[in-house]
Parts: sequence; structure tokens; C-alpha cells
Amino acid sequence: MKQKGRTKINAGRLIWFIGMVLMILMVLAPIFVMFKYSISDRASVVTGGMPIPLWPYHPTTEQFRGLAAMDAFVKSALTSMEAALLAVIVSLAIGTPAAYALVRYRFPGMMVLATLLISVRLFPDIVSVVPIVETFTKVNLLNSVWGVGLAHSLLSMPYVIFIAMGVFETIPKDLDEQAQILGASKLYSFVRIILPVALPGLAAAAIYVFLLSWDEFIFAYFLLAFGNLSTLPVLLQKILSWTPQHNLLAAVSVMLSIPVIIFTFIVQKYMQAGATAGAVK
Amino acid sequence: MELRNKAINLIRKNLFCIIILAPAVLYLLGFLLIILFKVTALALTHVSPEGALFPTAFHFIQLSKNPEFRAALVRTVWFTMIGTPLELIIGMVAAFLVAEAFKGRGIVRSLFILPLAIPTIVTAIILYIMFDFPGGHINDILMGRHAFFPFRVISYPVDWRGSGFFALMVSIFGKVWRDMPISMLIILSGLQAISKDQYEAAKTMGANAWQTFFAITLPLLTPAMSTVLVLRSIEVWKEFIFPFILAGSYPLLATLIERAYHEWRNPNEACAIALILLALIIVSTILIFHSLKWLRMRLVRI
Repeated sequence: MKQKGRTKINAGRLIWFIGMVLMILMVLAPIFVMFKYSISDRASVVTGGMPIPLWPYHPTTEQFRGLAAMDAFVKSALTSMEAALLAVIVSLAIGTPAAYALVRYRFPGMMVLATLLISVRLFPDIVSVVPIVETFTKVNLLNSVWGVGLAHSLLSMPYVIFIAMGVFETIPKDLDEQAQILGASKLYSFVRIILPVALPGLAAAAIYVFLLSWDEFIFAYFLLAFGNLSTLPVLLQKILSWTPQHNLLAAVSVMLSIPVIIFTFIVQKYMQAGATAGAVK
Repeated sequence: MELRNKAINLIRKNLFCIIILAPAVLYLLGFLLIILFKVTALALTHVSPEGALFPTAFHFIQLSKNPEFRAALVRTVWFTMIGTPLELIIGMVAAFLVAEAFKGRGIVRSLFILPLAIPTIVTAIILYIMFDFPGGHINDILMGRHAFFPFRVISYPVDWRGSGFFALMVSIFGKVWRDMPISMLIILSGLQAISKDQYEAAKTMGANAWQTFFAITLPLLTPAMSTVLVLRSIEVWKEFIFPFILAGSYPLLATLIERAYHEWRNPNEACAIALILLALIIVSTILIFHSLKWLRMRLVRI
């Protein structure tokens, strides 16, 4: 009897273990392939019919050195950064105060408004991209960093409001009330007392927006497809359509992913909140 | 007069609130209105040499006759019907794997979050490289050309991007891989919400692992599961990047929008497709939401 029970448990453990190994392999395989290709020499990519080695014959950093000398790459990286910073500034400058108002002023209908603002993010981006591009063309925002930054700020604003509302909710209401009893105006107490306390959480929101813009492909592609400006994701697509040279593609991919991987683990808690925003009830 | 004074007073009293709230509301809802107005206006306008015609269902009629649109519609429907449940299943598997405490759980959890940190376009490019033809890694492995897996599953390399079925299956794989952490996190939070008392009670009453799973875990997990299904189905309907990179010759509705806009140079038709996609998403979301609600009422009896 006891023997039977033990084998049963072992079977369960075995299934769990196999599932775990398979899942870890599944998650890691594409990431491993990316790093492997980025350090591959030419002979390990163009093998002339031989199977592609699982580890390059002669690991090399020549792709990365090539990227540093490649004008298009440096320029795109700068463009990506500019667009992302613009998105961060716009969405935080507009989104943070709104989040504060949504948390502190409980009028009837305020929660409905908050839900409405946050669920704008569910609007399909591929549906909004054509009207946005058509509108931006009219006001000369096509092929410009400003257009991309603005579009990204629009995408990220609901996340900023969501994260910032969470941050302000953790700050006790007494804090602003006491400040106002001592004679501070509402504006003063918000800017000089509440914002500094909220800063760490808002920094996480800023990083989230930066990454969202850094990753974003659809709007950047539609806005920049036929100009000579590109963000890194658009450059990646352009390289793919010029020369699908695998190790170059992988090297750009690594450069694009590294900041995201680093920051994701720094702000993991908030990333999860953002990713599952409005999901947990 | 008094009413006006009251209104002015109310505004003055909450001026600060209005001032800090208005920009975001105007910015978000304003753009939303512009988008909705523009997409509808463009979809209903037909520009011909004789002049612009509005409103007209011309583009919708054109599309309904267009075999490329019909094929894309059919592809999108099965893409969604395979992709959405897969997102849920893989998310649940990952969540159950890390649900219980074990040595190194924190590391494994962080590892499972990793796909979230790989940009979608990068994931698509990596799959492009892995599923290359004739000499990609997947073809090599399936043909048994590596020592660690000497089984010849296929005798000829598969042209993954050259067949609609394979190209879209690879796209689904990418989509599921990249979204796995999100589904996992929602399911995990659902699992944590189930109180330990119920498991204790089941244990004292002598229930085995299967009974506990089907009588407690699964029914109480249905809210989290339906959240995953509803949110993920929206995401899968509108998926663009994976099919754009991996299934260029087999457009879904989302990639057909790009083609209509860039290749056919027809923003009006692109908007018509976009509206159809939007309608499909709304209808399917309502449908999924209500059928899940109905199912939950049937399943959970408290």
C-alpha cells in the first residue's frame, strides 16, 4: 500500500520534472539561438549544406564591432532613444497629474472614467495605425521623430495612468491634507510633497514607457517606412528586406534586447502590473 | 441664476482637479474620437476620377468579391481559433509548474518572465532564422543531422515560410512564446487567490490530487482563465508582427491592412478592412465573455 503511494507521487514528480525541463528549453532556445548567431563567424552561418553548428566554430565579436561603425545602426539607435524619451516626457507629464486626480477626487463616475482611460489600450493598434498616419501626414509628422514619439505616448498613456494610480493609492491622503492645513496650495502640495514621495514608482512607469517605445514596431514602421529615418525595430525589418544576413540580424536583435532584459528585471514588479493591467479583479 | 452660480462654484472648487485631469482625457479620448471618425470616414469614401463619393459601401462590396480578402478572413479565423486556446494552455502549464514551492523557484519564475523582455520584432526575426529553409536549425534537428537527436522525422527540409499552414503555425508559436509570461502571471494570481482552507478541507475528506484539481482548482480558476481568453483573443485577432515577418505571402486581416495601404496604395480599402477587423474583435469578445459567464454559472455551484 505504502509502496503504491510512493510510486504514484514519483510519477507526478516525474511528469512535473519533464514538463519543467521542456518548458525551460522552450523558453531558452530562441534566446540562445539569438546570442549564438550574433557571435557566429561567417563559416558557421553559411555552411554550404552542412548542418549549422550549435556553437560557432570561431566565436567572434566582429558583428558588434561592425555595428558600432555602421552609420545606419548608430543613427537608428539615437532615433529610437529620442522617440522613447519624447514618449516618456509627454505621457508622464500628462498622465501623472490625471492619475493623481483620479485617485484623490472621488466624484461619482470617476472610476468609470479611469476604467475608460485605461481600457483605451485595448483598442487594436493595427486598426488605429492607418487613421493616425493619415492624420500625421497632414500635419507633417510623417518621417519624423516627433510623430513616432507622439504615437508612442498615446500608446503608453493608459499604462502610465494605471501604474501612477497604483502609486498614488499607496500614499496616505493625510499627507496632502496636512500640507494644505499648513497653508500649502493644492498645486504646491502635489508638486513639492506628493510627487517626490511617488518618484520611485513613477520612475518605474517611465522605464515601462521607454521600453514600450523602444520595442514598438507597428506605428514606427507605418510612420517611417519610406523615409531615411528608422528606429531600431524598423531598421531590423529593413535589414531583413535588404540582406537577410543572419548573424547581422542577430547582432542587431541582441543590441535591441539587452536594455529591455536588464530593465525588465529591475522593474519586474511594475512590468507585471503593466502587462496584466486591468486583468486581475 | 442660482443654478448657474452653483455650477460656477462647483467648477471653482474643483478647478485644480479639472485642470490636471483635462489634458489626459482630451488627449486620449480626443485621439480615440479622431481615429474612430477618420477610420469610418475613409472606409465609407470612394475616390474616383469623377470625384469623391460619400457615404458608400463600395469598398466593402469590393472586398467581399476579393479572393485575397476572403482567404485572409478565413486564415484569421482559424489563426485565432488555434492561437487563443494555446495561449491559455501554455500559460496554465507554466503557472502550474511554478505554482508550488521548490528549490530554485524564484530563478525559474524569472526565467519564465524572460520572453516578455524580448521585443516582439526580435522574436519574429529569431524564428525567421530558426525556421529558415533549407538550412535552419529546426530543419536540421528534424532531419536528424545532430548527434543529440539522431531521429529522421522528415527526409527533406520543409519550406516553412512557403506554406500557409506552416508559416502561420510558426507565427502562432512565436505569439504564444512571447505572451506566455502574461498568461502565466494572470493564472498564477488566480491560483494564489484560492484559499488554502479549501484544499485542507478536501484533504481531510480524503480527496486525491485529481479530485482536488477538478473540483476545486479548475472551477475556482475560471475567472482568471476567462480573463486570459478574453484579453488574449483580442491580441491574437489583431496580431501583426509575426505574420508580417514570417508569413508575408499569406496575409491575415491585420497584415492585409498593411498591404492595402502600402502595396495597393488604397487607404480607404485599408480602413474598410480595419473596420471589419474591429467589428470581428468586438463581436468575438462579447461572445467569449458571455459564453464563459454562462459556462461558469454551470460549473461553479456555491
